[in-house]
Amino acid sequence: MNPALSRRFTFRPLIAVCAVLLIAACAPAAARVADPLANLRQADGTAVWQQEYRFEPPPAPWQLIDLDEDDYSIAFMKICSDGYPCQSTLAYAEEPFGYSRDFEERQAEFFRRFLWASRVAFEPPKLRKVKVLGQDGLEAITVGVEPVLRHKVWCKILFARRGERVVAFYFTQWRPEKNGFEPADEADFGRFVASFSFLQPSFYERLFSQSTPKAGTP
Amino acid sequence: MEGHQRNRYLYDRLNARVAGVSRDQVATLKYWTEEMGLTFPIFSNPVGHLGIWFDTLEEGYPMFSRKTVVIDKWGVIRYMQAGSPDFQEILTLLKQLHEEETKR
Repeated sequence: MNPALSRRFTFRPLIAVCAVLLIAACAPAAARVADPLANLRQADGTAVWQQEYRFEPPPAPWQLIDLDEDDYSIAFMKICSDGYPCQSTLAYAEEPFGYSRDFEERQAEFFRRFLWASRVAFEPPKLRKVKVLGQDGLEAITVGVEPVLRHKVWCKILFARRGERVVAFYFTQWRPEKNGFEPADEADFGRFVASFSFLQPSFYERLFSQSTPKAGTP
Repeated sequence: MEGHQRNRYLYDRLNARVAGVSRDQVATLKYWTEEMGLTFPIFSNPVGHLGIWFDTLEEGYPMFSRKTVVIDKWGVIRYMQAGSPDFQEILTLLKQLHEEETKR
């Protein structure tokens, strides 16, 4: 056999083996991606968060946001590639912006601060009385536009009650101004809200119903 | 400040009052409190002696660093904590102080 041909036949299987090894090396790496909710998942598919809330996490590619601020209590984000920005966020907030315990007043206070740093100009929100967490709540839907970068954000905020305090569920979807919104993400938000429940009374509910532990004691 | 405003109804129930202190001028604070919708007093202390008393004035930095101080009705400091306020801790203490006061 021609020596050059012989070398080619020797290298071909080697290259094929290397290619298989490379592909094989990728497969377990992809499978090893940690599920940040793994320890929280229950047999019924829900997740229990800090012994405080139970909910059905939205499916992948939604991912848990690592929170380093107080704006949300728990939040998930979904990135897409239909231009920039292309992102949806759903969240539950124990302390939504604003102060009032009246839903109508609270939503007005809320939108003065919500996405403030993004320089968004909101349309007046469309308000509708709804049931949230089995009680009376308020739905506020609006679109905001960032006029310099030409980004837009669709927002659906559900104000609800935990004890006497107002809590809220947020859904936002960012898109370039010329692109359309994706309604499927809002359906995931709806399932998240519908599955959400409290596992115990909040600190504020317990504050006046229990004897006070000495301050500074665990 | 927003958290204190949100909890103001609870402070009222516990017979507590909240006030803020800042080194900003009165005109700045007036605009800021209106913008934020705050309804409790914010004191203007440009000279900074309150910050010095409560050890919130870092050398070389002109602003007060954030600190929460709880003073009882006899003027005794019962709590002092730097950083963002821990509202659960504050409310638990206020409830305890209120119970102490009503037992007297």
